[in-house]
Amino acid sequence: MSESRNDQEREEKALEALKFVDDPEIGLNVVDLGLIYEIVFNEAEKKVLCTMTLTTEFCPMGDSIMANVKEALRMSLPGIEPEVQLTFDPPWNHSMISEAGLEFLGG
Amino acid sequence: MFGPTSNNPIAKTTSHKVVIPFYAYAALSFLIATILLFLSDQDFTGHYFHPHILAITHLMALGWATMIIFGASHQLVPVLIESDLHSNTLAYASFALAGLGIPLLVYGFFAFNLGWPTQVGGSLVLGAILAFIANIAISISKSKRENVHAVFVFTSTIWLLLTVSLGLALLFNFTSSVLTRNSLYYLSLHAHLGVVGWFLLLVLGVGSRLIPMFLISKYSNPRLLWVVFLLVNAALITFSLLFLFHPDADLQHIPAVLVAIALLLFAFYNRQAYKQRIRRKVDDQMKVSLLAVALLLVPSIVLLVLLCALMLTTGERADLVLLYGFTIFFGWLTAIILGMTFKTLPFIVWNKVYRHRAALGKMPSPKDLFNHRVYKVMALLYLAGFVLFACGILLPSPVLLKVGSLALLATACLYTWNVMLLVNHKPFRK
Repeated sequence: MSESRNDQEREEKALEALKFVDDPEIGLNVVDLGLIYEIVFNEAEKKVLCTMTLTTEFCPMGDSIMANVKEALRMSLPGIEPEVQLTFDPPWNHSMISEAGLEFLGG
Repeated sequence: MFGPTSNNPIAKTTSHKVVIPFYAYAALSFLIATILLFLSDQDFTGHYFHPHILAITHLMALGWATMIIFGASHQLVPVLIESDLHSNTLAYASFALAGLGIPLLVYGFFAFNLGWPTQVGGSLVLGAILAFIANIAISISKSKRENVHAVFVFTSTIWLLLTVSLGLALLFNFTSSVLTRNSLYYLSLHAHLGVVGWFLLLVLGVGSRLIPMFLISKYSNPRLLWVVFLLVNAALITFSLLFLFHPDADLQHIPAVLVAIALLLFAFYNRQAYKQRIRRKVDDQMKVSLLAVALLLVPSIVLLVLLCALMLTTGERADLVLLYGFTIFFGWLTAIILGMTFKTLPFIVWNKVYRHRAALGKMPSPKDLFNHRVYKVMALLYLAGFVLFACGILLPSPVLLKVGSLALLATACLYTWNVMLLVNHKPFRK
């Protein structure tokens, strides 16, 4: 129970840090854009696995966005080794944008 | 919960070293073309088959539009087809061949030396196109799924090959009899294969992907795009067959009507994409690109008037032919390049400078890498220059031609300045 709460707190911390990583073209952060699918902690190996996607499979900015996500996780979760995994299943679509993201884009 | 992933599912993006030289070359070509336009403005009151007009047209078509399309294609085709660019070496080869061939060709036209300068220049340009087509064809063949945009791009390169092959035959026809008639006779076929087959088809294919993508639009309609594709190709084939086998038949309005329907459907497609966009705020670059879609209709209207004039009167309307060409090369083609350069080049430069600088803290975004105030002034000068010069051709008015060409020259200076600012960008943090 306490481990689960710990994970939840760390996940929130990670998501807060990821809100500083923007998609350079859209100008919206990767969390509100809906690119972050899952964050899983492995306590035994002191690792965190972030599963994310991109708005298009051949996004020219993909490398840079993923590197920024990894760096944000490393800075926000000291002592834990971050790993970023990319998936296109399911592919990203507009319904994944958060309410805050829609508000940002509509402004 | 999530599907399979691989270690490196994103393909590597095309190196900026491949792409940026094309952009720089195109900017320089636009600048030189507007200088020539300013110096030769009074030639636009006469016949369109004039050495200076031929030089400016080919510099705009090849040095400006084709070079920037080549550069952008090496970056965008992988995005469109979701596959890697096949070869950087072929891309360098096409740059080197075109880069050498275009000045020779343009010099030959300007000095009206239709011997070796134009023939060697044209042959080098043909070599560049073969290298480009091979690269694009092999890249597309690796694509995993059917993609209407890729079909547009590939088909347009085939029309480009036909255009340049015919153009080269016309050049050799000046010095030795290669064709059954004189070169001037085939000019209309050469021009329309290039303008409709290469530029229009490519702009429709790439624009239909990029405009909704940059607007973050929910709208998608591949079936409509297939109809547009079939209409444009049917128009090109009909036009070519009529031209070659029934030149006297009064049926030239058929391909014109087919293209007009395709353009209206494309305008409808963009309107729907615009209406269903999630990103409400549209930046200046997108506004210029959307203006270019509207400017597509101007040469269509001029062509319609030209066809009507040909039916109702005897003799050629050289002013309308000149206006038709001007609204294509300095109108919609230039407008879409002015808009899309600053939607694509900033990302290429940003990737070059910042992709390995991953760290927390706000970095400049791609749109911060060029001067927006200069861009706005450039856009206004362009619009003024385009309208004034077009009026100058129609009236005809030497004063309007001079003022219009000066405004277009200023547009090119500001465009080149912003492109150079981008290309020479050094890293900084906000």
